[in-house]
Amino acid sequence: MQARMVWRNLMAHKLRTFLTFGAIVLAVFLLCFLRAAVRTLEGSVEAASSNRLMVQSAVSLFQDLPLAYENKMRAVPGVDWICKWQWFGGVYRERSNFFAQFGIDPETFLRSYNGVAMVEGTYEDFAQTKTGCLIGKGLAASYGFGVGDDIPLIGTIFTKADGSEWRFTVKAIYESTTPVIDNNTMFFHFEVLKDAVETGAARGPRGVGVYMLRLDDGVSPETVMAGVDTLFENGPQRVQTTTEAEFNRQFVTMLGGVPKLLGAIGIAVLFAIFFAVLNTMLMAARERTRSNGILKAMGFSDGYVFRSLLVESMVLALVGGVVGVVFVKLVEAPVSQSIGRAIGGFRVESSTMVIGLLLALGIGLAAGVVPAWMARRIEPVDAFRSEA
Amino acid sequence: MNEPIIDLEGVCRSYERGNEVLQVLDHLDLEMQRGTFYALMGPSGSGKTTLLNLIGGLDRPDRGRLIVCGEELQDLSSSELARWRADNVGFVFQGFNLLPVLTALENVEMPLSLTPLSRSRRRAQAELALELVGLKDRMQHRPRELSGGQEQRVAIARAIATDPALILADEPTGDLDRASADQVLELLQKLNDELEKTILMVTHDPRAADHASAIVHLDKGRLGSIETTERGATQAAKPRS
Repeated sequence: MQARMVWRNLMAHKLRTFLTFGAIVLAVFLLCFLRAAVRTLEGSVEAASSNRLMVQSAVSLFQDLPLAYENKMRAVPGVDWICKWQWFGGVYRERSNFFAQFGIDPETFLRSYNGVAMVEGTYEDFAQTKTGCLIGKGLAASYGFGVGDDIPLIGTIFTKADGSEWRFTVKAIYESTTPVIDNNTMFFHFEVLKDAVETGAARGPRGVGVYMLRLDDGVSPETVMAGVDTLFENGPQRVQTTTEAEFNRQFVTMLGGVPKLLGAIGIAVLFAIFFAVLNTMLMAARERTRSNGILKAMGFSDGYVFRSLLVESMVLALVGGVVGVVFVKLVEAPVSQSIGRAIGGFRVESSTMVIGLLLALGIGLAAGVVPAWMARRIEPVDAFRSEA
Repeated sequence: MNEPIIDLEGVCRSYERGNEVLQVLDHLDLEMQRGTFYALMGPSGSGKTTLLNLIGGLDRPDRGRLIVCGEELQDLSSSELARWRADNVGFVFQGFNLLPVLTALENVEMPLSLTPLSRSRRRAQAELALELVGLKDRMQHRPRELSGGQEQRVAIARAIATDPALILADEPTGDLDRASADQVLELLQKLNDELEKTILMVTHDPRAADHASAIVHLDKGRLGSIETTERGATQAAKPRS
């Protein structure tokens, strides 16, 4: 009977209930979305491996390191293998079609990252084809690329001397489950860039953006970092060696206060919705003053009246929360594809959904407890005198 | 001699209005017999509704002893009073006071949810109560779909659904036209005659009071008089079976 009363009371003011419900859905959706974005930004830092070090110029990330450094670093004790990473920065057909492209070493790239698997084509095919490329499944889905397709890129940092486009053939499509490698990136042979620049077929920096050093198992990263930094202390180009986590963190830091801003927006939304639900429940409690008096006159306890309003508030908030979470999960894939190139690997974690639901429940509880308490305290005689 | 169902000794009740203390009931002594239909009359402010609320356990006296249906009410806690109301009293109010979100049947079934009856038994009992007030064909209607007289009859069905010994009615015909008022009064009379319910009805209307067996007059918070009506005299002359 109480459940029926709760439902009927909610349905007694459909528009108001719907608007409050909509506000909760929106709030939970936004909270989960913002948290997912922040978690995605932080994810690459957390997922970073301690046995991978990143070597970049001590001056700036945009300053390339000499190619000759590779062999010298390979001689540093504890370094198992090296994979070069070079930012390409090309655009696909027009400027709005931007996604990340990197020149890498195919021999060492795949074995450096657990959690990257081919879903179409083979890595061997990519590794053996100099003009081949490897693309993430998100990127493939966004542009409809398939194995065998040619991807023409207009270089912005590396430009062909004859003004033509760079062309890469898709040899494999990967799926990454590690936030370190997102599913919207294209990888191709570093050698292509190196050869083109060296032969004069293309203009662009001669060097390597970042060296990734894979360490031997059990080696102290600090020791290797110190060794590498010392090696090039006197130039020609000083380097800065960091752990992968620290390297990734600098990209999050580059966004300045964005994660904090997103968090602040989330909290502001939370408060706004709390007051909206509180207002709804206060109105509901006020309108039902007389009904609550009737219930008490019939012999229903103060606790029954208290529970009715509290349950009503929590049901409204929880259902809103569930729908909000479902919505955010539904948009996860499309958002991942559309903004995945800006925030790699956007995903809504289970913990985010649980937090969304708990917050919704918390809003319902907090917003319902005051009106419910007021309804609990009112005496039947006073309730009958009310005008509501 | 009937056993008293209501026994009040030195009951006082006052309210504060700003800096003023308003003595609504002033050392009231009153005894009412089981199975009798009482009308409670008096000028505005004489304490009729306050007395009804005290007898119904909706309010507490400042002083005095209040025994209703065998229970001393003045010392009961809120939850004990609530339980006592559920077991012993049915209320009928001037403003009908049905729950607007529930159907007539659900309104009548509501107090039954406080009993240990099964859902089907509750439903059957609520239907029986509605049948008794002549509204079985309206049981799926919401209060707003009923006329004032019908609403009040649903309220009476709700008041008797749990088979309480005492029915308290606060100006039950105050908001009704004459025809509807007569129907409601006849219904209350029937409950008293056939089910031997004790009824205490606050009213300003002498015609309504004529349906009672006795009229209790209150004046300035004190008992004025108790007079037996024509109906009461007839009842007394014709002992119940």
